[in-house]
Amino acid sequence: MNNTIRFFIALALFSLTVSGCRSAVATTTEVVAVQSSTVPVAPTDAAWDEVPEHPARLLLQDLVEPRLMQASTAEVRVRAITNGSEVGFRLEWDDKSKNDLPGPARFLDACAVQVPVKLESNVPDPQMGGEGKTVEITYWRADWQASVDGRPDSLKEMYPNASVDGYPFEAQSLEKGSAAQQEMATRYAPARALGNRRTGLRETPVEDLIADGPGSLSPAPTANGAAGSKGKGVKSDKGWSVVITRKLPNGLTPGGRTQVAFAVWEGGHNETGSRKMRTGWVPLLMKPMKGAEAK
Amino acid sequence: MARVHNWQLGREMSYWYPESRPNKQFAAVFDTNKCIACQTCTLACKTTWTSGLGQEYMLWNNVETKPYGFYPLAWDLKLLEMLDGQKWSEQEYEGQKLHTYEGQTIFESAPAGERVLGWRPEDIDYAYPNVGEDDCAGQVDGGASFSLQHMAQHMAWFYYLARICNHCTYPACLASCPRGSIYKRPEDGIVLVDQGRCRGYQECVKGCPYKKVFYNAMTGTSEKCIACFPKIEQGIQPQCFENCIGKIRLAGFINTPDKAQADNPIDYLVHIRKVALPLFPQLGLEPNVYYIPPIHVPHSFTKQMFGPGVDDAVKTYRNAPNDPDLQGLLALFGSSEQMMTRWRRQGEFVSGMRDDGSEVVRVPIKEPVHVRQPYDRLYQITRTNCP
Repeated sequence: MNNTIRFFIALALFSLTVSGCRSAVATTTEVVAVQSSTVPVAPTDAAWDEVPEHPARLLLQDLVEPRLMQASTAEVRVRAITNGSEVGFRLEWDDKSKNDLPGPARFLDACAVQVPVKLESNVPDPQMGGEGKTVEITYWRADWQASVDGRPDSLKEMYPNASVDGYPFEAQSLEKGSAAQQEMATRYAPARALGNRRTGLRETPVEDLIADGPGSLSPAPTANGAAGSKGKGVKSDKGWSVVITRKLPNGLTPGGRTQVAFAVWEGGHNETGSRKMRTGWVPLLMKPMKGAEAK
Repeated sequence: MARVHNWQLGREMSYWYPESRPNKQFAAVFDTNKCIACQTCTLACKTTWTSGLGQEYMLWNNVETKPYGFYPLAWDLKLLEMLDGQKWSEQEYEGQKLHTYEGQTIFESAPAGERVLGWRPEDIDYAYPNVGEDDCAGQVDGGASFSLQHMAQHMAWFYYLARICNHCTYPACLASCPRGSIYKRPEDGIVLVDQGRCRGYQECVKGCPYKKVFYNAMTGTSEKCIACFPKIEQGIQPQCFENCIGKIRLAGFINTPDKAQADNPIDYLVHIRKVALPLFPQLGLEPNVYYIPPIHVPHSFTKQMFGPGVDDAVKTYRNAPNDPDLQGLLALFGSSEQMMTRWRRQGEFVSGMRDDGSEVVRVPIKEPVHVRQPYDRLYQITRTNCP
């Protein structure tokens, strides 16, 4: 066998191997939520390998000031699993840098999933809805994930060599853990006093929000109807893999359809708030159970 | 963008929101010539408002030495470099000089995709609050301090610039916030960040040219000078005013020039005598802290910092010893912790009053001089000047 023939045989074997690998990742033109008894919380759960992937192209948020003028993350790869009451989305995107420490001029890796609050043919604006066209958003952030994973809520995490003489809430006259001490601690932290905990210790890395257009983002009502979302993100050398699980969008049943949109913030690119990469609406199909599909 | 009137520019300008002036506008006059940079104001503010976690680096009030002092680093130079052609034109009208800004404001020169022209300091930029302190411009050669010629020309100079939030009429922080978390109170024009609404995007930090909004990494929200509004609501001047040992500050309320009242101390100094000037008016925010400019600093520097009225302001201030009204009003600075929204001079005394005309304080324009005799007859002892 001469070298030329050897080369072509090797090339053919290599091509087969590559195409074989690719065939395991079935891509779809819409997000297909596959039925399963459980929605895995871990982004690395093997169950995610069994469901098709939708590569959603990300666009610049360039409609509302302040805009993102330079594109960063090109696409977010989305897979979805539903158990009939919840739907989990696994979002993966390439990101070499991990940005999970807040600070002046430091921004955080984050992602979000958005669905319309109502199932109707006239969908809201994909950029956070509009007046009377509310959207529900579940937002995940890397520093919240770090907090959930056990990072202490301390200035030393940002500035290891910081030395502070003292804080008023550390005064000797205040008994540790007492109501008076808590009052003193929140006296200098008005956002915390108001329950607006943007940073600090957290029980969940996600937050449920609603919006009626750009600039109107606010916490989702906590009474009946709260999405009660969960999430978990892990960072590899390649990028982020984040699972966001929320209750099924209102009125959505197996076999039904709605729209979903995604956004990704690359902290290393100073992306925050309206400076983000986002998708338009992507059709979301709640794939019926195998038996139901035949009907 | 809307079209609004900015009297400090002498023209209309573009702003993110339509003109909506508050019922009253908090304002202040700082006399730079009296500041000794003791930083008592800085500490008064620090201990009152920013002693918490995440606020370690924050100075809502700071005093920096010009030309080489900055907090944060090069806050003004960086923006001035970005802002082209800060030209003013001058016209005479009924014996008054009228100045019009011919350049672009930070709103008008906002790049595509931005609400204002700005830049965002990094944490390292806040690491040198005392940079340039007491450093003078120019080289001081050996023996220069004995040279009359050098002294007359002020070859070497510096001055102290005390700074708080300017509670601007057209705040860039407010315009920058994409979710309306910053508001201007209609009752007194004080600009506040709604700590329940802020999501810590830091757009306001980038937008404010004076860099008086700070991101708190431990709360995840941005915070700023609140003009001690709980004190203002009780008719008391803010902490940095009350504690100023150099008595350089006077807090009050300002009217627009067409409604200026001679018995309003701020109106008198800003609109009528034009001795107190805004800080970087060309940026277009209509800032409401007014400075009596330093009298010994080269015109080219102070004109860029305080606008084209600087020469006349210095001239008026230098003449204060022959100007009983101006001298009298300046004596009122630091004479009471209470707000004095009206004033009057009667002979050798000047009174500060409340809105209803009731007197807060009456002070002599010239302090009486007491000469201590070197020999104390009562105790039959020679006094010494030893401390």
